[in-house]
Order: sequence, then C-alpha cells, then structure tokens
Amino acid sequence: MSLVHLIFRELRHHRANALLSALALTIAVALIVAVRLLTNAAERETRRVVRDLGFNLRILPRDVDPGEFWIRGHSDKTLPADAVQRLATGAGTFVSFNHLTPTLEGRIPLGGLEAILTGLGPSITGPGEKKQPMGFNIAVGKAYLGQTLANRLEAKTGKTLEVKGRPLTIERVLVESGSDDDMRLFTSLADAQAILGLPGRISEIKAIDCLCLTSEQDPLGQLRKELQRLLPEAQVLQMRTMADARARQRQSAEKYAAFAVPLVLWVSAGWVGVLAALNVRERRPELGLWRALGTGSLRIAGLFLGRAMLLGLVGAGVGYMAGTTVALHYGPEIFPVTARGLVAEPALLGWALLLTPAFAAIASFLPAMTAVVRDPAETLRAD
Amino acid sequence: MITCTDVVRNFATRPGAVAGLAGLSLDVAPGEFVVIQGPSGSGKSTLLLTLGGMLRPTSGRVTVAGQDLHSLTTSARTRFRATTLGFVFQLFHLVPYLTVRQNILAGLPRPDASGRARVAGLINELGLEERAGSLPGTLSAGERQRVALARALAKQPPLILADEPTGNLDPANAAGVFRRLDTYRRAGGTVLVVTHGPDAAPFASRVLRLEAGRITDVRSTAQVAL
Repeated sequence: MSLVHLIFRELRHHRANALLSALALTIAVALIVAVRLLTNAAERETRRVVRDLGFNLRILPRDVDPGEFWIRGHSDKTLPADAVQRLATGAGTFVSFNHLTPTLEGRIPLGGLEAILTGLGPSITGPGEKKQPMGFNIAVGKAYLGQTLANRLEAKTGKTLEVKGRPLTIERVLVESGSDDDMRLFTSLADAQAILGLPGRISEIKAIDCLCLTSEQDPLGQLRKELQRLLPEAQVLQMRTMADARARQRQSAEKYAAFAVPLVLWVSAGWVGVLAALNVRERRPELGLWRALGTGSLRIAGLFLGRAMLLGLVGAGVGYMAGTTVALHYGPEIFPVTARGLVAEPALLGWALLLTPAFAAIASFLPAMTAVVRDPAETLRAD
Repeated sequence: MITCTDVVRNFATRPGAVAGLAGLSLDVAPGEFVVIQGPSGSGKSTLLLTLGGMLRPTSGRVTVAGQDLHSLTTSARTRFRATTLGFVFQLFHLVPYLTVRQNILAGLPRPDASGRARVAGLINELGLEERAGSLPGTLSAGERQRVALARALAKQPPLILADEPTGNLDPANAAGVFRRLDTYRRAGGTVLVVTHGPDAAPFASRVLRLEAGRITDVRSTAQVAL
C-alpha cells in the first residue's frame, strides 16, 4: 500500500486530530496573512499620516541667516530652480531625503492686505516609488487660497484674482489650518516666479527625511553631511519636533510588525508540535507494530512527516483565503486613509503553499523522530 | 532455530535496575512448538521481544535462524524481521485505519501476486471472508486475533513468535488459534508461544517454565499430558 494511501486512510480515521491540526495550521496561516496585510496597511497608513504632518526639512540657500529666516517666515535669498533636479539626481539622495518640492515664497500686497505667496513645483520622489505627491499640485493660472485670506478678500472658488497683473482662477479655498497657511496664496511655481520677478529661481526645497532617526540618533548631523556632498550651495534646517514624531511613529509601527509576526509563528509552531506529539502518542502501538513488521524508519518517518505536509498544504490554502478575507473585510475600517491600498497579495499564497508544509513538517519533526527511534518493545509488551 | 546464551536484560527503574531476563539460556530446534509459561512479570514478553530483535539484551547472545540478531545494524535487523519473523500479540495490534485485508497484506514485505493469493486463501481459511473489508474496530476479539494470525502466516516466515495470543479469547477461539499454529508447525514452521495459561500446552512439543527471568522447568509433551 502506498505511503500516500496510508496517510489518507489515517487522516480519515483520526479525523478529530487531523481536523484540529489542519485548523491550527489554517489559523496560523490566516493570522500571518491577515497580520501581514494589516501590518503593511498600518505601515502605509503610518507613512501617510506622518507624511501628512508636512515637510520637516527646509533646504535653503547657504547664505540665508536662519535667525532672519524664522523671523521672516521665508528665505529672501534664492537658488537656481535646477538645484532640485541636481539634488534629485545625486547618488544616495533618496536614502536621506524624499518628496523634494521646489518652492518660491515672498510677501505680496493683495487687495489692500499683505499675503504670503507660495509657488509650488511638482514633488520629486525616489525612483520607482509610487508615492503620492506632497502638498498641492497646482496648474499654471490657478490658485488656492488660505481661509483667512479668502474671507478678507471675500473670494470664492471659481472667481478670478489679479495679482500684479496676472489673472489667477481660485480653484480651492482651504479649510482653516490655524497657521500662517491661512494667509497664503498658493500658485504654481511658474506663476510665483513671474509675480515675484524671479524667473528660474526658488527660495527653498521642502523635503521629508527618510532616515527616520529620533533626535538621540543625530539625524541632522547625517542630513547636513549628505547635503554638503549633494548640494554644497545649500543648507538644511530640520523641524525637529515634527521629524521626531514621525520617526517615533514609524519605529513603533516597525517594532510592532517585528514582534507580531514571529509571535504568531512561534505560537502556531508550538500548537502544531503539541498536536503532532498527541498524534504520535495515540499511535504508539501502531508504531511498534510497523517496527515489528519490519517497516523501515524512513517509511515510518514518511507516515508522520507526509501527514504533516499534507495538512500544511490544506492549512496554507484555506488559511490564505481566510486571512485575506478577514483583512479585506476589517482593514478598510481600521485604516481608512489608505483603504484602497489594501488588496489581496497572491504572492502570499505561493509562500504559504511552500512554507506551511515545511513549517508543519518541522513542527512535527521532533515527535516523528521520537516515534521512529522509540523502542517498539515499550508499546508491544504485554508483560 | 533459536539459541539464547546467558541472556540478561535489565530495566532501569527509580529504585535501581530490575532484571527482565536473568542469565536465560534456551535452544529451540526448527519445527518445534515451544510454549513458555510463567506468571505476569516473569519476563515472558521481554524474552519474546528480545528474540524478535526489538529489545537489545544487556548481555548474552541471541541467535535466530543463524543470525546473531543484535550484531546486525538496525536496518538489517528490520529487514530480518520483515522476512524471517511473524508476530502475534495479545492485544492484536492491528492498524486501526486499515481493513482486514489491508492489515494482513501489511505483513508482507512485498505484496506480489502470490502473496495476495496467499492472503486471499488465509482470509477464506480463517473464516474472515465477510469481514475482509471491515475495520478492526468493528471486529470481535476472536476475529481480530484471526486477522493478526493471518498477518503473521501470510509471509510464510520460518519462525512465529506469539505473545499471549489467546489472552483475550474464549476457549473455543483460543483452541482455534493454537490449532492453526500447529498446522503451520506441521508444515515446517517453528512456533514459540509465551503465555501464563495452560491452553497452549496440548499443542507443545516442549513446555518451559519462566520465573524471574530464568527457565526453571522443562517438560516434554508427554510429561505435560501426565
């Protein structure tokens, strides 16, 4: 009788143990798949949420006095606009910096008020990254208005503003932010350059740091060293509180993932191992008999490991479907910001089908080997 | 067929080593039907499992069918068991998830056509035709022991070792088992039965008494009959 036939007959006979073992593996795979999908979603959500905290790096011309910069709120010196391209193409840039957004800022009179004009160029992200652009992507001839400024000007969406003779259609009035953004007029970089009379110039590059190091790990030292190499005519200021919050949030999410997945794996391995040991215990007389009949150790080990691998395949398939269903059902409620990014990962099924039988075999290995080397006399003696 | 010389088998226990076999010597010639009687704990099963190569003696030598059993490697001893020995146990030890036919076939090292024909013949001979497709859990004790006996006989081994083969059977079924073992012996096989009861004695060419791991009494069939 073939080994596979024997395994199937045994599984059918010891239904309860087989079902519990398959259930253990199914739950393990389901948990791992769900934890993996949800952890990825949590990381995406965290990245998005911390990114939405805003830019935490200000890359300014080297000759800007930081003291005056903070008092004024923007740089009065400029860099050539191509500085952002040079920074983006520098080797190792996206290890330290990301979401490079060329910006030109200046104060302008507007409707009898003083407003802050902010021209934003398109964000540049790391090569191959599918990251959402930071800030606003404003077309030439369009404008976004801060809430206070819009109220003062009695401006509404769809109206046209004339700024230094340049017509701008108000595309959006922003919600109240509680910052100087409420007195800002956001335009495209090209419009701002034209309005401020600074063609081909930018006053800073806004960015986010990729290092995600907390202040104790001295990220600013590393960022300055990198920038010196990549763009020597610039200096970098870090908004430390924001950067620290972002770094701590990411580190915390990563620590959670590094803890949760191995925990599930170890608990499952223990569970499968206990069930395998119970199966061996229940089958001790049978094992003694196979030995007495002259069945080789390899075939006996095959009976147990083959059983474990077969159950592993079942657990992998069912567990993948269960885990994916759970993650896709509850994930969007837990992570609403990045809900659309939460999709099934078929590659996980491949890994599950490959690794779960191996994992089940490893968990059953000790009980199976104990079975193989067990003295058959222990179970066959009636004396 | 069997030669045991000064076989000692000790078991480690908490208070200290306990002797299962204490310097046992035994010779069984081919074609004999030897019955070893003794009370529980006298070492009967230990002797049988030592002769079956499943229990290594602490000292002494065991030769079965010309092979010094415990000088063989584990895999060679496994092969030896598969081809040379048939076992019948008190608790039957049938594989619970295999049918009667499959349990008997499991005793064959290679279930070829002649082996299958032999199995079919044994099923008929032992009155198991209607139970051939049944699982052991649905059989009576007598039927189970007939299956175990058929499994031992199917590979036509030169030696059958039986450990309390009728311990769970009524007298009629017990007599049936010994009669079949006697038929096998008459066909040239050798039988060694360990038991605490007297049922096997009428079929024995010799009856040995085992006490505290030693043979203490030897009687021929004629003496047993008296």
